[in-house]
Amino acid sequence: MRVYLRYAFKETFTNLWRNRMMTVAAVLTVAVSLSLVGSALLLKQSAAQASAQWQQGTRVTVWMQPNASQSEIDSVKTQLTSLPIVKDCQYFTQAQDYQQAKTLLPADEWSVLTPSATPSSFRCVPTVPTDAFTVQSTFTNQPGVYQVTAPEQQIRQMNHAIRILQIVFLALAAVLLLSATVLILNTIRMAIFSRRREVSVMKLVGATNWFIRVPFITEGFIEGLLGSAVAILAVTALHTWYPLHNEFALNASALVGTNTVVLVVGVVIGSVGSAIAIRRFLDV
Amino acid sequence: MIRFENVSKTYKNGTPALRNVTLDIEKGEFVFLVGASGSGKTTFLRLLLREETPDVGRILEAGRDIGELPKWRVPYLRRNIGCVFQDFRLLPNKSVFENVAFALEVIGRPRSTVDSQVPQILELVGLTDKAKNLPHELSGGEQQRVAVARAFVNRPLILLADEPTGNLDPANSESIMALLERINRTGTTVVMATHDKALVDRMRRRVVELDRGEIVRDQVRGVYGIDEGVAI
Repeated sequence: MRVYLRYAFKETFTNLWRNRMMTVAAVLTVAVSLSLVGSALLLKQSAAQASAQWQQGTRVTVWMQPNASQSEIDSVKTQLTSLPIVKDCQYFTQAQDYQQAKTLLPADEWSVLTPSATPSSFRCVPTVPTDAFTVQSTFTNQPGVYQVTAPEQQIRQMNHAIRILQIVFLALAAVLLLSATVLILNTIRMAIFSRRREVSVMKLVGATNWFIRVPFITEGFIEGLLGSAVAILAVTALHTWYPLHNEFALNASALVGTNTVVLVVGVVIGSVGSAIAIRRFLDV
Repeated sequence: MIRFENVSKTYKNGTPALRNVTLDIEKGEFVFLVGASGSGKTTFLRLLLREETPDVGRILEAGRDIGELPKWRVPYLRRNIGCVFQDFRLLPNKSVFENVAFALEVIGRPRSTVDSQVPQILELVGLTDKAKNLPHELSGGEQQRVAVARAFVNRPLILLADEPTGNLDPANSESIMALLERINRTGTTVVMATHDKALVDRMRRRVVELDRGEIVRDQVRGVYGIDEGVAI
């Protein structure tokens, strides 16, 4: 057994080195495709986490017309406070909104605003995040109401954009994973070809089929492993240095999970590539 | 040791390679297989190695029908059969020692066996002082002796030789034959396919002649062929 392990090890590395250009190509393709898979996974988790956090603090804002009468304002206020789906409501006067606009908007935009042209607003928190829409539809056409905005819409649009991005990433990754498998298959095929003399002698003197096959399988396995190692570095670098802030920031366990998937996928494509090569090109 | 029972083999392209061959080879025998190219000699050897299976009939080796062996047992069958070819089939990037050791290593023999067996067998074939040389540094005769060493290092029960002297001059052929005889004297059954008339005539061993896949002659102390005009 020990003899065999040493033999298989030696053979594997001789093969990897002999076809090093192909090995490098295969490893890099695995690395690039798995980096994409890893990034897509991080993106997905990050987006899911952010939208969950946003929904926690969903607010509905009922903007009044700047020229709304006091009775219209009072009517909206009464209705809002009596609605069971509204948990909490705060009234911001025109002056308060003007002050906030000053801090939020760029100078050239708020400079055209005057306190009297600024709408006053009710900032409300619905009991359940999705109730924001009910509030929106109830108050949109009330007298004196200018507009009702719910951030839910923006969250949805953003989630939609992220989902599209993710599909594009995964589609690219799928194509690249396929080409990585084919490249590994090809390196193994070349290794089999360059060792056909040895293989024929081995068959002649009675080496078992697995004895002949194993070095080629480990070769594919190691190519997959090296590729995923590079991808793990890339994904970890992305996680560490890319400015994913606040709600988007992921903890270490999400990274570990992603890297585990990357590792497993890499090892699987390496093994599958070499298994196919052996079935098709190694006649034992 | 080897028994062919009504063996026939036809290749996919329709050429019959062996036709109804029945033959017994005893343990420790030395048999020459003669006949023109395409007479079925190589097919005979390939069947023994189970590189081919017969269409009809059975082949028994050491009392066992080798057609019944499951595929995964075939390597174990081959461990009992040594093989030598006309073109030596040595590994060019391995030294003489490594070439012989390879045969033991790939069947999982431990280092200690390799270290004790290989020098012994190199001694037998007279190449102890060339152990570190690469095959291309040796003469044809020496290369073939390495091939014989590799075939015999595992002490097989049967040694098959397919035209082992085909690429050698008479002197080297002579030394290979002497080697095969020595191996035969240890009790190993030797089956040798050959075209070398002088060799067969001098050795006076059992001769089996094949012609278009059929055994046309089986003589205990035979010669290569019957010269025209000479009665048997």
